[in-house]
This record gives sequence, structure tokens and C-alpha cells, in this order.
Amino acid sequence: MDSKQIEKLLERYWNCETTLEEERTLRQYFQGQVPDSLQDVAHLFRYFEDQQQKELPAAFDGHVKPFMHRLQPKGKWINLSFALRIAAGLVVVVVASYFVRQEIRKSYPAEIADTYSDPQLALEETKKALLMLSKGFNRAQKETEKLKVFNEAEQKIKGKVLDSQKEEEGQI
Amino acid sequence: MMLEDFENRVLPNKNKLFRFAFRLLGSSEEAKDVVQEVLIKVWNGRDNLAAIHNIEAWCMRITKNQALDRLRSRQRKATDPLEAGVELKAETLTPDEKAEMHEHMQRINEMIAALPEKQRQVIHLRDVEGYSYNEICEILELDMNQVKVNLFRARNAVREKFVKMNAYGL
Repeated sequence: MDSKQIEKLLERYWNCETTLEEERTLRQYFQGQVPDSLQDVAHLFRYFEDQQQKELPAAFDGHVKPFMHRLQPKGKWINLSFALRIAAGLVVVVVASYFVRQEIRKSYPAEIADTYSDPQLALEETKKALLMLSKGFNRAQKETEKLKVFNEAEQKIKGKVLDSQKEEEGQI
Repeated sequence: MMLEDFENRVLPNKNKLFRFAFRLLGSSEEAKDVVQEVLIKVWNGRDNLAAIHNIEAWCMRITKNQALDRLRSRQRKATDPLEAGVELKAETLTPDEKAEMHEHMQRINEMIAALPEKQRQVIHLRDVEGYSYNEICEILELDMNQVKVNLFRARNAVREKFVKMNAYGL
């Protein structure tokens, strides 16, 4: 490629109109001998080429890879042991709740149970119980009647007070 | 993703990641640390890698973010506020690295280091690494127009420097 073409290409390069392919061509061209007028630009393209050769020190992988190796199995192990822990916890809870239930059943016998087998006898017993209950009610009612005396007394007193007030008003 | 897969698809990009981090940080030690952090980050998130179609561009993007985080914390750490904005890039080359680099190369290195951050990123990705515009958009999270404008400005800043150098015979 002659320098005229290169200059044209360069002009397009400065205007950002070149393709990647054309830029590679320029870079290749400037690796060789170039006219004096293009020396500066040659330095620029050689600089780009030079910079792309820059690499990490060889020991770098030695620093990073053990880290990856260490992290890999660890990640899986954490997941597995985590799942196992949860499973073990669940088993403990299920087993414990089964035994606790058993214990509770033993210490509290069922509260409602049949006491009589003969319906007639059961009826008699029920009647007896109800009778006892109504007797209690009756006695309580008698007692409450006494309260009526107080009530009447109160009414009377109120009546008297009102009368005397009226009398006083009449006098005035 | 298994270790073998990681070694075949992610690890071969390590030098590109390193060069990009170096371009942003100007220190090979720090760039090395960044690459290590990026690789570990990608490895820890390997279960989500299936959804990423361009792993290389994705790794480059993480590198950019990681390096910029470092730059910011470096600026925060600078006790003297006057020093916070000082361009560290070209000065932080080790004497060995300087000796290695030809005088012309050093001058160009300084020119590029003096460019604004975005322009420096774009010219590196395009002219050093040879990425397509689409890939650069993906890496830098910019739209096509921004990428082209930044590249145009970067290339022209370099071109103007050459013109000036020749005019004053520097």
C-alpha cells in the first residue's frame, strides 16, 4: 500500500470513519518502514501495538487458581450440609411431638365417659340431680323475697319525704 | 459454570482486563489486584453467567467499575484536598517500566494519560484492544453517539499534540 492511500486512510481514521479491518491495516503498515512525514503517527500505532502486548506476570494464575479450587468444593459442601441440618431438625421436631402427644394422652384420661349402662337408672339419677338443682333455686328465691321488704321500706320513706317537702312548700 | 468452563471462557481475558485496569489506574500493582477481584467476583456469580451473551464485554465492564471505585476511594483517601485531583497515571510507572518504554512511547503515553477519563477509556478499547463500537457501548454503558464523540475527541487531541510538537520542534 503506497503512502497516498495510507494518508487517505489516516484522514478517515482521524474522523473515526475507518472500520476495525482498516485500522488493523494501518497498524500493520506502521510496523514497517514509513516516510518521515508519517513518523509521529507511526509512533502512535506502534504504541497501540506495544500496549496490547502488555501482560500480567506469569505468577498471576498461581495466585488466582488456588482460590477458585478452594471455593468450588466449599460451595457444594455448604449446600449439602445446610440441607442435612434442616432435615435433622425436622426429624427431631416430628419425633419429639409424637412422644409428647403420647405422654399427654396418658396423663389426661378422657373426661367424658359413660357412667351408667341402664337407661332407666340413668334417668332416675338425672331426675335426682335436676331436683336437687330446683330445690336450690327455690331456697334462693325465698331468700330474695326478703329483699322486697327493703324495697317497700325505701318506697315508703321516699313517699314521706316528698309529702313533707310539699307541706313545706305550701307553708311558704 | 464449572471450573473448566471458567478457565476457558473467563480466564483467557485476564490480560485485556489487566490492560484496561492499568489504563484507568496507572499502576500495575493495583491493576493486578483489580483483575483478581474481578475474577473472584465473576467466579462467585458464576451461576448467573448463562444469561450473559458476551462474557468478555461483561468482565470488562466489571473491571471498569471496580477500577473506578478504586480511583474514587483513592481520591477520598488523599488527605490534602489539593492533591485529590492530581493526575497520577503517567507518574506512577515504576522506573523499570519507564526504562522499558521508548521515549516516543512515553510521550504518547503521557498524552493519552492526560485525556479525560471517558476519552481515555474509549481510545484504549478501540485503538489498543480493537473492540467494535457496539462492544464499547456495552462495556462503558454509553450510547453509540457518546462513544463516537469521545473517540473523535481523543484521536483529535492526540493529532493536535503532534501538530504542536512539529510546529515548535519539540
